[in-house]
Amino acid sequence: MSGIVCAIRGGPDSQPTIAQAISLAKETELPLNFLYIVNLDFLSRTASSRVQILSAEMHQMGEFILLAAQSLASAQGVTVQGLVRHGNVREEIVGLCHEIGADYLVLGHPHPSREESVFTHESLAHFTAQIEEQTGAKVILAESKREAR
Amino acid sequence: MKRQSRRWYLLAALLMMVGLALSATRTAVRAKDSAPLPLITGRIFDHQGQPVVGAHVTLKSSSEGEALAESDTQADGRYAISLPATIPDSLTIAIERAHFKLTNIDLDVASINNLRNGQSVVIPDVILPRRISLAFWIATFAFIGVLVLIATGKLHNTLSALAGAALVFAVSYLGRPIYEGFFIFDFRIGLSYVDWNVIFLIMGMMIIIAVVERTGIFQWLAFMAYRVSGGRTWLLVFILMVMTGIMSAFLDNVTTMLLMTPISIQIALALGINPLALLMPEVMASNVAGISTLIGTPTNILIGSYGKISFNGFLTNLTPGVLLALVGLVIYCEIIFRKELKTTSAEEIPTILLEKLAERARITEPNHLKKAGWVGAAMLLLFIFGERIHLLPAVTALIGATALMIWIKPDIEEMIEAVDWTTLVFFIALFIVVGAIQEVGLISFIADAIGRLMSDNLLLAMLVVIWVSALLSTVIANIPFTAAMLPVIGYLTATVPGADSKALFFCLSVGSAMGGNGSLIGASANMVTAGIAERAGYPITYVYFFKKGFPALLITVGLATIWLLLRF
Repeated sequence: MSGIVCAIRGGPDSQPTIAQAISLAKETELPLNFLYIVNLDFLSRTASSRVQILSAEMHQMGEFILLAAQSLASAQGVTVQGLVRHGNVREEIVGLCHEIGADYLVLGHPHPSREESVFTHESLAHFTAQIEEQTGAKVILAESKREAR
Repeated sequence: MKRQSRRWYLLAALLMMVGLALSATRTAVRAKDSAPLPLITGRIFDHQGQPVVGAHVTLKSSSEGEALAESDTQADGRYAISLPATIPDSLTIAIERAHFKLTNIDLDVASINNLRNGQSVVIPDVILPRRISLAFWIATFAFIGVLVLIATGKLHNTLSALAGAALVFAVSYLGRPIYEGFFIFDFRIGLSYVDWNVIFLIMGMMIIIAVVERTGIFQWLAFMAYRVSGGRTWLLVFILMVMTGIMSAFLDNVTTMLLMTPISIQIALALGINPLALLMPEVMASNVAGISTLIGTPTNILIGSYGKISFNGFLTNLTPGVLLALVGLVIYCEIIFRKELKTTSAEEIPTILLEKLAERARITEPNHLKKAGWVGAAMLLLFIFGERIHLLPAVTALIGATALMIWIKPDIEEMIEAVDWTTLVFFIALFIVVGAIQEVGLISFIADAIGRLMSDNLLLAMLVVIWVSALLSTVIANIPFTAAMLPVIGYLTATVPGADSKALFFCLSVGSAMGGNGSLIGASANMVTAGIAERAGYPITYVYFFKKGFPALLITVGLATIWLLLRF
């Protein structure tokens, strides 16, 4: 198996990542796997007992976000599927890359003004090196084209 | 193994509660059985006119003399001392209580003669002056520490409150043998500050919510709002705000937003609009409308229990004000989000998204929903009419939760998991910490200072309570703030002319809940909504929330203030 993994979380900042992944899939003719990861760590201080019910809701929201990306890719003739995983973002990305023997991993570049990005520039560089070593997949970082709000 | 241990936890919790109830009953029976004929009686109060419980009253032949008889004050501050066989020529009553000054009262000759003639003597009410000890500063430090830990997020809310409770007990028990001034209160008195009415009401409602949230009703309703609006986003915002408001009046705001946020994001994406244009109005409506009933917010539950305000009390005194504020909020939201509410042209929206949305909108457990509906309706009737038979809301919630569980026979482990024990422990620990500052007199000093500032002016008191609590709620957690303010409001209610209508309790309710709209950290529902939105790629920053939320605070609190001033 081989293919491209593209981890997204939706929103305007994911659009360049999606576009780059689709373009790469067309260029390499590899199947594209959009990945959405449900991570509910933010509930730990406010509603920890609600993880179970929200987990199901977030899963469906993830499917919905992926569906929008999938329809965009399908319209351009790319073989595409959407996957929703639950847990730690880094671990799930590495896990999926291993699982499908990914050739490429497309990630969004951390937004310069956003504190809530999953990766900082430093940690992303480390993660990129780590994932390339562990899975053999080449990591491509999509630049965010949007200005900070 | 995990399930087994949960069972034990539940069993232990139930046994503890039964034990507490039995111990309270036994104490009452014992007091009744062994109460001697009172010969010297009286009542002891603090500066706020609250009865002083547990004061040790000793009858002596003089202030330095040996004890002839002893008694402790009861819940109403009353004491009764039976006399010894021989009555000396002079008698002094010494009143001792931690955190109060030792007070001696000499009986006059006429009273002593009456006693010798076998007549009872009633001592005039005593106002016991407060004493600031080291314990005062320790309890104050513990309370402020809890607030800071919660505000900064250094510790989980529950752990912060537990740390505060542990500190006051540790200092009381470990410090007392070293220096008497360390003593704040013992375990029994500490637990007496826990309001079990609040705990049981929240627990009962959590069980009901756990059943309802699994039925898919929220998602179905949101989809119907989308259908009814027919693509008119201004109408969609209006319907979603009203819907969220109604839900928040009966469920807690966090649950409402947990269930409404993911589906609202999907509706927004299907319509091609910014999800924040739906989420912000929804969460603000939730914060505003939650206070229209007793069970809508934890702060109302606290206020209702302390101020003895019934379900109907909130409905008649707050709901019209909430509706007025909601109208203002809807107009404000329609204006400020008008640009974000412009949709993408219909051709650009993939049909598959609309199909997926429709597929999601279904009631997953219609049978449970029907039964929950019947139980909910019965509970509503009990909430409304129960006050006539002195039925506590906590009892109604427990009856309703138990009846629903017996009727639908859910997986009991799942139901137990759905009860947010961390929140219940948070409340118990918080009651103890607030009890500590009450015990050492901090609340009394604050109440005195505010009372002097108000100088018997109800209008001024109402304005100060509403706006100070609204502004403070934007930066500090509103639950501990409300819990600490309750004795202060109780004092003002008893002393400010005209405040006996409980107007100030309603002002506190409005301020502490609607103030949550002023900042992202102002309410837990805001944080939950922001967390979910961020995971969909639409972050809500502190600045963004403040820009949209603070004007909403001014509008809604302003309108609610007008209502409360007209009403009271």
